[in-house]
Amino acid sequence: MPKKQIGSAIPEMFREMLEKPSTEAYPFKPIIVPDRFRGKLDIDPAKCTGCSVCSLVCPSSVITMVDMGIRKLADRELKVRKPVFDLASCIFCGECVDNCAFNALEMTKQFELATPNKSDLLMKKVFT
Amino acid sequence: MSAQPEKPPRREESAGLMEYSTESLVPFGPIHPALKEPEYFKLVLEGERIVEVIPRVGYVHRGLEKASESRPWIQNMYMFERTCGICSFVHSVCYAQAVEGLTMFQVPARARFLRTIILEMERIHSHLLWVGLMGHWAGFDTLFMWVWNDREVVLDLVEAISGNRVHKSMNTLCGVRKDMPENMEDRIIERMKYLTDRARYYRDVIDTEETMLARTEDIGRVTADTAEKLCAVGPMARYVGMRRDVRLNDPYAAYDEVPFDIVTRNEGDVHALLRLRLDELVVSANIVSYAVKHLPDGPIRIKIPPTIPAGEHSSHCEAPRGEIFYFAKSAGGRTPERVKSRQPTLANIPTALEMLKGQTLADVPIVLTAIDPCFGCMDRMSFFDIDSNKKWTWSGEQLRQYGINKYFPERAKRQLHGQKFSSAGLGFKEKF
Amino acid sequence: MSELFPQQVGRYAEQAGSKLTTTHKNENVIEVTQEKLKEFLGHLVNDLSTRHLMTITGLDLGQNIQIIYNFSHERDTVHVKTNVPKTKPVALSIIDIVPGAILYEMEVHDMLGVYFTGNPWMDRKLLLPDEWPSDLPAPLLKTSRADEIRKRLDLGVAKQ
Repeated sequence: MPKKQIGSAIPEMFREMLEKPSTEAYPFKPIIVPDRFRGKLDIDPAKCTGCSVCSLVCPSSVITMVDMGIRKLADRELKVRKPVFDLASCIFCGECVDNCAFNALEMTKQFELATPNKSDLLMKKVFT
Repeated sequence: MSAQPEKPPRREESAGLMEYSTESLVPFGPIHPALKEPEYFKLVLEGERIVEVIPRVGYVHRGLEKASESRPWIQNMYMFERTCGICSFVHSVCYAQAVEGLTMFQVPARARFLRTIILEMERIHSHLLWVGLMGHWAGFDTLFMWVWNDREVVLDLVEAISGNRVHKSMNTLCGVRKDMPENMEDRIIERMKYLTDRARYYRDVIDTEETMLARTEDIGRVTADTAEKLCAVGPMARYVGMRRDVRLNDPYAAYDEVPFDIVTRNEGDVHALLRLRLDELVVSANIVSYAVKHLPDGPIRIKIPPTIPAGEHSSHCEAPRGEIFYFAKSAGGRTPERVKSRQPTLANIPTALEMLKGQTLADVPIVLTAIDPCFGCMDRMSFFDIDSNKKWTWSGEQLRQYGINKYFPERAKRQLHGQKFSSAGLGFKEKF
Repeated sequence: MSELFPQQVGRYAEQAGSKLTTTHKNENVIEVTQEKLKEFLGHLVNDLSTRHLMTITGLDLGQNIQIIYNFSHERDTVHVKTNVPKTKPVALSIIDIVPGAILYEMEVHDMLGVYFTGNPWMDRKLLLPDEWPSDLPAPLLKTSRADEIRKRLDLGVAKQ
């Protein structure tokens, strides 16, 4: 049975005083996040075709497809739909990114999303 | 357990208006800012000793099982991952295993090893969190700060692999979604060695530090027979000598390909739980190092169709707190017919009630944290003096200070802990 | 031993008048009636040392409510199924054989409305709030709908 004593952690305490502090200096210095960090969603409008797969797989109904008009292709009329994102409900799972066949979606490294207005997080990009 | 003190005789007032008794009812009620989840224990005290505990849980019942019946199979995985923050990955692994058993597909070998690595890292993180909490409730705040600093090491590794610290979202049906990044093996092995050394140091501290021994030795005893009858799981079964661990009894993921041994202790008190969890940390670090060195090649996932064939299957896994059980029934469609999940804390509540009987009021925070509850420790506590109809409240901090003052009254007066003799302790003594 | 265990269970299952099916993943499934349930569980717990009850699952099968007792024994799991009719959802409690089943029976009572005779805590609720209306049916039945429950309990409308 090891010998009982009071203050067995005191030598470690002196050693720790000589090391640099463990606290991060955020928000005075930025935090470096790893490459795979799943932050705010972003879409490249040029690559999106409006196939709606992202809105079908999203677990928390973030993506809604809205009609953007009609496009004529040869003798057919095609409905054009583009996504609108309500990022306040996003759970940052990345299902939409994995399932997009055109690599239009990406999770950025931005994580400072706190806002007093939920409507700030409604993302509508301009699609040509 | 120590013998109960003798009951003083009851007196009845001659007018029959008041009956004097030494029993007092202490409601240990639900809401507290420090809790992850609330729960409510009604403690019946006789003097200082607890004689009966009446539990009430269900304050955060979210209806996940009902909600799962209207969502597709993959989306349910994200929902069940959010049952708990600390053991979120093992919930998604257990659900995935219950559903994969209904299909005819096998999980690839590389995915099973990756699941094992993240599962063991989660166990390390959970045990470090718990050791810190024990230090905090026992009054040893320095240990709490040091242990939570080391916890950042494992959380950084998890973030580098999966993208998030808490809800890893790395699992999918029949595989994992992300592979191991390049050039990570050496970093993981070096960090695991660092954590092993730190765990061994903390083990020395809790074995020799007299303050920790006074707070945790001989507290919270339960016999092995009682624990087995009440179906205890996890460390609550292993600290009385039972060799009950799902990783050994019914291996899943890659546990039958990785050599390891489980940890059991025979003493049956809270100090044994401290030693057990720190030893398990070392075992987990060894498993991670082995799995990283022997990671097989191959695909990490298999794409399966969104409809799952009809049938029933169940699966159980070893979370840091105990055994998790999932049952899935499919009628052949895109949504499940029934999913049942049972968390380990529900299985440990009857054993926790037996642990509390015979303890004093000052030991309640230590005992309730020792079962590693997923509903947190403490909150507003109301005292009712039945005799004089007086009523007053303590916060969690005041109860913690009461425990420290009771065990180390002279030391508490000095500045060693950095805390002044709190007014709560004085107030309590003045009233009595 | 793991190979003989299904055969031992099968012998007791025949005594109870039912057949044992073993799936390819070491799951043993038996269906017994309410009358033979306690005798069969007594053999399982006392004679075969299958003492660890993982949980009790309740299912809604339309006409009946199915109660499954999930036991675990080393590498095998044993699932004992029994049915109670929805018109009279009363079952027998097993806490004299397995004392740890008390909270699981409370959960099935809350979620599916099955009353377990012999359980001393049937008057308390485990998961549902104390102010649950007594005329509202149990939530996990297929006929109960989440939006109706939210309306009765004044919880607001869920996001679509």
